Amino acid sequence: MDFMITFIRNHKALFALISLIVVAALWYLFRPEKLFINHRVNESAPFATTQTAQPIYTGRLSAKLHETSGRATVYRQSDGTLLLRLTDFHTSNGPDVHVVLATPQDPALQTTPGKALASIEVGALKGNEGDQDYKLPANADLARYGTLVIYCERFHAVFGTASLQPF
Amino acid sequence: MCVEGNREPELQVRFLTTLHVGNFVTKNYAPANSTLKGCNTMNRLQKLASVTALTLAATVTAALAQNSTPVQTGVFHGQVHSTSGRASIYEGADGKMILRLSNFKTSNGPDVHVLLIAAKDAQDNDNFLKNNVERVELGKLKGNEGDQNYDIPAGTNLAKYHTVAIYCERFNANFGTAPLEKF
Repeated sequence: MDFMITFIRNHKALFALISLIVVAALWYLFRPEKLFINHRVNESAPFATTQTAQPIYTGRLSAKLHETSGRATVYRQSDGTLLLRLTDFHTSNGPDVHVVLATPQDPALQTTPGKALASIEVGALKGNEGDQDYKLPANADLARYGTLVIYCERFHAVFGTASLQPF
Repeated sequence: MCVEGNREPELQVRFLTTLHVGNFVTKNYAPANSTLKGCNTMNRLQKLASVTALTLAATVTAALAQNSTPVQTGVFHGQVHSTSGRASIYEGADGKMILRLSNFKTSNGPDVHVLLIAAKDAQDNDNFLKNNVERVELGKLKGNEGDQNYDIPAGTNLAKYHTVAIYCERFNANFGTAPLEKF
């Protein structure tokens, strides 16, 4: 033991160098500072210009009371207006069916049919199949009304829903 | 003609395939050229110039309109290294494919890469090397936060490689996974 200590004392410079190398290697391997340092990048969307509509929300439609499938996407157009587009869309045909926006917590989404949904009207469903576009109301708060609902007004029946997630 | 010089080469290649658009448009512009009677060469040159310019303009507009929508998209999950955001694949008019990460966030780390993997999904900290997961390298992660684009190598089979993974190559650990589905 004494021998070791004497040895280290006599070769201080060497041991300092070795420990420095070990620390440097460990630092390079684990890069612990990256735990605290963020690196943010901000590239623009590919193949797009300011003239093209940009998707801002999207979600998959899933069935509630009736078989419903497809995708709902909200685009921001170059003039600032919002457009809802349904693609690969399919639901069952019915009376007085509407496209509406609701809050995800709305109890009427669970206890359907029965309770009326507190919703923002988007429009009467154009067709129960196929790609279709709807203008969204300018005041639609999509951060709050984040659930798209295919909704039968007559029977307060939720055919299907899509949870809109940020694109 | 100056329009031609400003466009990217990939758009010029598409000139031939959309020639009919140009022909159609030229007909409408014929009266303007007819004022140059007796100047046949000039007339032809002007005609050619307008065909080229208008065709390119039409092609550019059409191409951009198609491509603001991705072909595939998916949402990231990953708890251990808290990864979130969206991965989408865009396809250009020339078939070039680009992966875009948006609203993206992961933990910063050493030697982190973006991969496409031939798997339905992957667990946090999954070791792709040990589990023999086939993968396509898209490049080093540009940043642990923010919107970013990565070129996908030409000929990549997206039917097979249909999941995006954020992978630490140094420790062979999966940070986050985004299974892709049709947009």
